[in-house]
Amino acid sequence: MNERTIAERITFHDAIETMEVDFSHLTMADTVQVDAFYDEVENRLADTGRRWYFLVVYTDCVIQAQAWERFAERGKGANVAHGLGTVRVGATSQTRDAIREHAGRASFRANIYDTREQAIVALGEMRKRRRDAQTAAEETFLRVENVSLRFGGVKAITEISFEIKRGEISAIIGPNGAGKSSMLNVINGVYRPQEGTVTYLGHPRHQMETHEAAAQGIARTFQNIALFKGMSVLDNLMTGRNLKMKCNFLQQALYWGSAQREELAHRKKVEEIIDFLEIEHIRKTPVGRLPYGLQKRVELGRALAAEPILLLLDEPMAGMNVEEKQDMCRFILDVNDQFGTTILLIEHDMGVVMDISDFVVVLDHGQKIAEGTPNEVRTDPVVIRAYLGTTH
Amino acid sequence: MLYREAGQFKASYKEDQQIFPIRQDRIAIALILAFFYLVVPYFASQYWLQGIMIPVLIFSLAAIGLNILTGYAGQLSLGSAAFMAVGAFAAYNFVLRIPGMPILVAFILAGLCAAAVGMVFGLPSLRIKGFYLAVATLAAQFFIVWALTKFPWFSNNSSSGVITAQKVEILGYAFETPEAKYLLTLAVVTVLALLAKNMVRSSIGRSWMAIRDMDVAAEVIGIRPMHTKLMAFAVSSFYCGVAGALYAYTYLGTVEPEGFNLDLSFKILFMVIIGGVGSIMGSFLGAAFIVLLPIFLNVAMHALGGWVPQGISSNLELIVFGGLIIFFLIVEPHGLARLWQIGKEKLRLWPFPH
Amino acid sequence: MQFFFEVLIGGLLSGVMYSLVALGFVLIYKASGVFNFAQGAMVFFAALTFVGITELGVPFGFALILAFGAMILLAIATERVVLRPLVNQPQITLFMATIGLTFLVEGLAQGMWGASVRGLEIPGIQDEPLEWMMENTGIGVSKFDLFAAGVSAVLVVVLALFFNKTRVGRALRAVADDHQAALAIGIPLQDIWRIVWAVAGLVALVAGVMWGARNGVQFALTFVALKALPVLIIGGFTSIPGAIVGGLIIGASEKLGEIYIPPFVQSTFGLETNLGGIEGWFPYVMALLFLLVRPEGLFGEKHIDRV
Repeated sequence: MNERTIAERITFHDAIETMEVDFSHLTMADTVQVDAFYDEVENRLADTGRRWYFLVVYTDCVIQAQAWERFAERGKGANVAHGLGTVRVGATSQTRDAIREHAGRASFRANIYDTREQAIVALGEMRKRRRDAQTAAEETFLRVENVSLRFGGVKAITEISFEIKRGEISAIIGPNGAGKSSMLNVINGVYRPQEGTVTYLGHPRHQMETHEAAAQGIARTFQNIALFKGMSVLDNLMTGRNLKMKCNFLQQALYWGSAQREELAHRKKVEEIIDFLEIEHIRKTPVGRLPYGLQKRVELGRALAAEPILLLLDEPMAGMNVEEKQDMCRFILDVNDQFGTTILLIEHDMGVVMDISDFVVVLDHGQKIAEGTPNEVRTDPVVIRAYLGTTH
Repeated sequence: MLYREAGQFKASYKEDQQIFPIRQDRIAIALILAFFYLVVPYFASQYWLQGIMIPVLIFSLAAIGLNILTGYAGQLSLGSAAFMAVGAFAAYNFVLRIPGMPILVAFILAGLCAAAVGMVFGLPSLRIKGFYLAVATLAAQFFIVWALTKFPWFSNNSSSGVITAQKVEILGYAFETPEAKYLLTLAVVTVLALLAKNMVRSSIGRSWMAIRDMDVAAEVIGIRPMHTKLMAFAVSSFYCGVAGALYAYTYLGTVEPEGFNLDLSFKILFMVIIGGVGSIMGSFLGAAFIVLLPIFLNVAMHALGGWVPQGISSNLELIVFGGLIIFFLIVEPHGLARLWQIGKEKLRLWPFPH
Repeated sequence: MQFFFEVLIGGLLSGVMYSLVALGFVLIYKASGVFNFAQGAMVFFAALTFVGITELGVPFGFALILAFGAMILLAIATERVVLRPLVNQPQITLFMATIGLTFLVEGLAQGMWGASVRGLEIPGIQDEPLEWMMENTGIGVSKFDLFAAGVSAVLVVVLALFFNKTRVGRALRAVADDHQAALAIGIPLQDIWRIVWAVAGLVALVAGVMWGARNGVQFALTFVALKALPVLIIGGFTSIPGAIVGGLIIGASEKLGEIYIPPFVQSTFGLETNLGGIEGWFPYVMALLFLLVRPEGLFGEKHIDRV
């Protein structure tokens, strides 16, 4: 009963992302037949340019022993290249055993069902599991929802919402007093908003202790440099690693064994950051004696020492000359690139913001007036009126 | 030409992280220790040992304690003497009430008692800073001295709270001569100073300094303010407590709560300011300076004889102390320790001016 | 009940004294951001100088003027020697400097006038109960305390007028709000500091004479003055009404506490010891508890850290 062509045996069900392959009443005797069948399947799959679930119907299908090897191999190949999962229907017990055997794994779930209905239900479950996993993988990295912050009667932030994506460089811009710094302070728990939630790594929260934010991988720099003035560059950076140090104070007091090992291991890590930021020559200098630009760089280093997931930079280039700005830009891009750190920055230099950001949020008078890619924002008339037009 | 770093290359972070990275410093420290352990006990007079060396060492320890709190963690305290009192009375009671209590264990327990009390009075530091906190520590100062006077249990029912320290005996050896007491004090102080130095160069010390320099930034990088400040109070009070125990056991022998008054707290604060805020070395220099200054003034007054009016000479100490504090805060806020540093830097460059 | 009121009124009136000292702190803190630990020493210095001058045979009023002159000199010297070199230093450094100043001033005062305890008489005012009050209600209120309260009230009114109605006063308030702004509009900071320290000196003089007349002029005055610190914590560091109310609260509560708490504790726990003398620490502990509830004080402004 081989009257149906191979092409006729292949059906795409777009609604359930499934390609159905019908082997029913087919006898495969040698590798040539198998190859002919799979060549057609793979061609059709490649044309769609996407991945599919496979529903395979084996009713009264006979595959001879010499063809099995080839069959299993080609099936696996198609699955790897184009498949999301496979369900099988109507295989005889012989076929089942052969499938299990050739799949090569004892625990292999062959997903063989008696009826087509059962197979399609199972397929539905499979699709749902995958969707959930996908959502989890793409879970909210950082979402700010309806956040309002007041100091006494003064409204610093009014009902601001936005979302930033993992791995991107995002920027908050806006005129002085727009609430940019306050926004950063809300994100890492320095200020507690009266209303709204901040969702970070999938966990919504209303308030958070600052050091908890640090423990969850949020680091930041400050608008007015907030280095530890009495300490050397090295010590400032080492302080950035404080959270990762586990020895108790008694071990530290003895400075023996594990405490010393820990100190040295972290010193090594800090030296890598010192190399990265090219500040080797000043590592033992008290930060108070450094020029402004270098202090900014050290502050970035202190934040990096914590190996953050999210790095908040509050005007990292304020008060710098062109050369220093270029350096800082390079460091920011490198951090994003090399360490995969997500960066949210506030900056006044529009050129810089537009160059390095993937996403821009514009605030004015404590409210969000626009968001989007640098290009979208640049051309937004509201933004031009509120910000660019008046101050630049 | 002797004091040079040149040629001392650090091949590992371990070498660079040593307590004294410069070889000459290590030699100098070894010489200083040898001098105080081996030479001083044989050549110093009883008066020098009992009247100057022992109190200098004890005050150095108390000053290290206050320096940890004020100099490193930035929390001003005007109640150091009260924590010394806790240490002295706790040690007395441990030895008195627990038969066979080894004296060094009693000292440690006394320090722990002081640490516990210190933490209680440090609690307000979580909400207040600077001179607000100074007022809170005044509460400790007045309350503790009052409590030790009013509850006779602390002094084993002696009148007005006077206690007489028991004999100091370790493994059957009685520390009775000034030399022996001096060496015991020196040993305790050396060990504790070394531990303090290690703490301030480790992550706990960096946390303290971070809280001191910029508390918001410290919190943002994950330093828990409560934990860090209370730790500073605890460690600081521990040092003051042990110093208090030594004060009773190796220095005065007989002490009363009123002896640990506000004036003594101020004296310790002055040691820290003049010696060097945020310096272990400075604590020693400051203690020596404050102990020696009145003696020096006395000698100077005697030398001048009748030239100085009676009224002035008795108050000269107050005036000189006050004036020096202002002078140091203006001219050299890092105190004698900084002068010491500058001296070393000069020496490193000598004979070239720059 | 009658006894209770007597203690309460006595406490309130001695609280007026604390208020006076606290007032000096507030003035200086508002104008220069300096927490002047030496205010107590200034009270002592002023009282001792005044007594010293009267002992030379100078009449009361003239001695007051001379003593005020001495306080002005002290203010000028302080500005020159302590404040100016330490400008822009952290507050805590200035605070420690004023601790040094405390010792210096105490030493100077005793050096000039001797360390013995002196009596101080205010002509016409005796420390005796007010007769009609005693007869009608049975509550004893010292004439002297009332007089002191009256003087303090007048002083507060004069200061309020000075700050609100005069050009210098307004300038002082400008400085208090923002040093930079004051400089920018041409108010000489150093003059302001001298004036405000001199005014604080005047307050110290009044406080010193009052305290001295009550308890004699002696070194213990400086400890009494320390009690102004808890007053400030309760009242807020920047508020003149706060200093007044705080002083009254501390004065009343420590006297009531002294009378009622020790017997209560003793009977509750069956202790035989005498727990008197809690006055020494009670105000501080009260201030501490207060800090936990309202760190900025009753009238203080809440401070927001900008980062």
